[in-house]
Amino acid sequence: MDAKTQKYDRQLRLWGSDGQEALESAHILLVNATAVGCEILKNLVLPGIGQYTVVDQGTVTLSDIGSNFFLDQDSLGKSRAQQTCELLGELNEDVQGHWVAKDIVSLLEENPNYLSDFTLVIATAITLKVAEKIAGLCWQASQDGGNQISFVWVKTVGLIGAVRIAVPEHAVIETHPDNEKLADLRIDSPFPELAAYAKSFDFNTQDSLEFGHIPYVAILLKYMEDWRAEHDSKIPQNYAEKNQLKANIRSGMRTIDDENFDEAFNSALRACNPTVVPSNIKELFQDPKCEALTAKSTHFWIIARAVRDFVEDKEKSSGFLPLSGTIPDMKAQTDSYVTLQSIYKTKAKQDVQEVMNHVKCLLERLGLASDTIAVQEVETFCKFSAFLKVIRYRSIADEYLNPKKKEIASWLEDSYSSPLFPQYVLLRASDAFYDDHGRYPGEGENWEEDVDQLDHNVTTLLQDWGITQENAVPKDLTHEICRYGVGSIHNIASFMGGVVSQEIIKLITHQYIPMNNTFIFDGASSVSNVFDV
Amino acid sequence: MADMQPSLDTEAAESQRWAGIYKLLDRSSLIHPKFEPVPEIKEFVKSAKILVIGAGGLGCEILKNLALTGFKDIHVIDMDTIDVSNLNRQFLFRRADVGSPKAVTAAAFVNKRVQGVTVTPHYCKIQDKDEDFYREFAIIICGLDSIEARRWINATLVGMVDPEDPDTLKPLIDGGTEGFKGQARVILPGMSSCYECSMDMLSKPTGFPLCTIANTPRLPEHCIEWASVLEWPNQHGERKMDTDDPKDIQWLYETALARAKQYNIQGVTYSLTQGVVKNIIPAIAATNAIIAASCCNEAFKIATTSAKYLDNYMMYSGNDSVYTYTFQHQKKDDCPVCGQSTTKLEFRGDKTLEELMDYLKEKPDAQMKKPSFSLGGKPLYMQAPKQLEEALRPNLSKPLAELFSSGDEISVTDSTLPFSLQLQIDFV
Repeated sequence: MDAKTQKYDRQLRLWGSDGQEALESAHILLVNATAVGCEILKNLVLPGIGQYTVVDQGTVTLSDIGSNFFLDQDSLGKSRAQQTCELLGELNEDVQGHWVAKDIVSLLEENPNYLSDFTLVIATAITLKVAEKIAGLCWQASQDGGNQISFVWVKTVGLIGAVRIAVPEHAVIETHPDNEKLADLRIDSPFPELAAYAKSFDFNTQDSLEFGHIPYVAILLKYMEDWRAEHDSKIPQNYAEKNQLKANIRSGMRTIDDENFDEAFNSALRACNPTVVPSNIKELFQDPKCEALTAKSTHFWIIARAVRDFVEDKEKSSGFLPLSGTIPDMKAQTDSYVTLQSIYKTKAKQDVQEVMNHVKCLLERLGLASDTIAVQEVETFCKFSAFLKVIRYRSIADEYLNPKKKEIASWLEDSYSSPLFPQYVLLRASDAFYDDHGRYPGEGENWEEDVDQLDHNVTTLLQDWGITQENAVPKDLTHEICRYGVGSIHNIASFMGGVVSQEIIKLITHQYIPMNNTFIFDGASSVSNVFDV
Repeated sequence: MADMQPSLDTEAAESQRWAGIYKLLDRSSLIHPKFEPVPEIKEFVKSAKILVIGAGGLGCEILKNLALTGFKDIHVIDMDTIDVSNLNRQFLFRRADVGSPKAVTAAAFVNKRVQGVTVTPHYCKIQDKDEDFYREFAIIICGLDSIEARRWINATLVGMVDPEDPDTLKPLIDGGTEGFKGQARVILPGMSSCYECSMDMLSKPTGFPLCTIANTPRLPEHCIEWASVLEWPNQHGERKMDTDDPKDIQWLYETALARAKQYNIQGVTYSLTQGVVKNIIPAIAATNAIIAASCCNEAFKIATTSAKYLDNYMMYSGNDSVYTYTFQHQKKDDCPVCGQSTTKLEFRGDKTLEELMDYLKEKPDAQMKKPSFSLGGKPLYMQAPKQLEEALRPNLSKPLAELFSSGDEISVTDSTLPFSLQLQIDFV
């Protein structure tokens, strides 16, 4: 094992070498070296992000070193960008750090394309105006067909933390479903090789060892076939019928030690779910990006279209998605298990080959080289094809200009499932407060005087959204926000640093599913919420 | 030059340095009306002794967080030394530190980085310290990956509680992570649900039946277990396997691979071999940060009363979106550590003592390794000493009904248990 594999062993078990490669080619921009910003970078430098750049025109103050671990007493008075960049850089010799002691706004004025070098932009401690500017540029760049630049806006206010993600489209192939869910056993519709396999077992054998080792998949297939023979070729349709199938399986048991029958019994209900293309995958197939491919289409959409073409070719696919090819462990003799495994694997490989043929046709039609998409990519896509995920985030402009009034009203009403929506309102109102007063609520000594002002901003917002509910945002909570006075508390910075870096790892590796689109944590009640605002 | 630096000790400097936290401590709250912003609270934060158990992924984060919360007297205890695979998350360590004690290196780093804090390292096992040691602390925070150590500290702290003396109650804050998931909880020993109360939330200990490993291997894991459990003692006799020695792992890998080939099983790799024999749990900096921060935020709230602390459990999952679940885990009446009533178990009287033993090894809330049994002070089966074990071994194959009567209370002891389990067995 090489040195790098050793160092990264614990994370490679989560995202593999593909995920690691994606991380290592990423370049992250941090706007403002706040405590939370540096905590996020810490959690990205450690697992080996390619490069990071810290942009901050400020110098280090006492309150900075009180909450930021990547500054110390020697940093006082020096450039915050430089100091944090250097101390973060010590965490991993394989990562390149850069710093710019300038204000992001003036940087963007000098060079409107400044952001195009980056994979992702993290912005902290910025005003709404600046956020809108950066978010707009990232969004535009992604729309123009260049590299996607994800925008991640993070706030910490006292015991509250919030993060907003915006990127036009995020597609995930490796969503990491549970292994159990991934197994696609086709008990209701066995392909010929599988049906033949089930028939190869002698259920009348006198050998109890042999009987106790018939794989449960074969047991299910046999009992399902017996059922269909008596029920007009239909699988169990309702609860009573499904239970009857289970009872049939149970009655076939010879002793209570036949674990294989237990396994069959426990999987019977699932086996009665007909194999279908899941509705969210059908939707994906109807997506305009799947319908109308162009030479600029991403691999994801080209392969998605190829899978759709495969599914539509019923002779080859029976109308099903490509087989995942994995099976769970089960009580069985080695030989029968290995044979079963290879039956599923062989079929999965055939399906991949068929999809690959469609991919090649599509590439030719699009005028692209036939080796543009590697077979490994198609293999992974096919394996996870029932679990694909495409997230279309709302832009920040949309959030502000076209508020989801209906949803907002119900989030405010339903304090059980959305306890933190008032916090969202208050964070928005605090930005409005800043526009009015040039400072954030509670920043100064006479903090309680800000409560009414902030409450006024809350009322205005609620009116804009047409909210008539009394006390939708409790005034005690408005008071609490003023109490916090945008103070930076390290524990909250660190908590958010962890959450945001998890999300960024998911965005960059295109593995696991990132949240959509706003996450809020309240450290006072230790609860969190996600809102698609 | 050090003497040119502004002092951080003046009151003005202190209030600038801790501005974010002091706003919380100087200002009253309508959400938490009981909170009184008095200066003693800040003094308490500065003087309180806090103990951190574990200086690994969570421990490094916890030490940093406590230091930047204003706690000044922090102790850390850890028996491990630094391994290269720690470096992707244990950010107080560098490549040059590999092989050094974690507690010592972590303490030195935080002391150097955060002016005014004193982290005192203890390079030893938690079991090496006695109650007098634990009594000194105001709050104890655990960042451990071992169930055994958690059970020990939990039972020790519950045992220390004297209802007459509130100072004997030590809040225990416990965090744990796996991949993108984790949990943080607050335990008030004797008052709220303790670690032992929630043992049944753990998943079954991973292990494969010996007969599968020996006779019907199907998975690469089965081949690896065969190599380490059955073939290692055959080939190496008394020499114990060192899972940190690449040569031993290489041998296991090759042996498992050969067996897999023989059975046509695919998927034995070096990395999987290492994962299975060392029981490796995937770990990343991000998740440790979340859970450690959550633990320290609770410690801060308990120490300052500036907001309500967690009552008593928060789960975090980042696999699919971000999801947290905060709830009150219930105290178990028959918890063997903090419960009031005897632990009861229904078991068939015609099953043997050995079958009971196997059951206790697999049961998630028991997780025993080598249990010994006695009835009213009379041994039924003892794992050691050797002569006693041999003399009592015949009892293992006897049905329970021959050894005692239904409703009898037997004592079970195990090296993994810091207490003896009183188990009332009712025959069914």
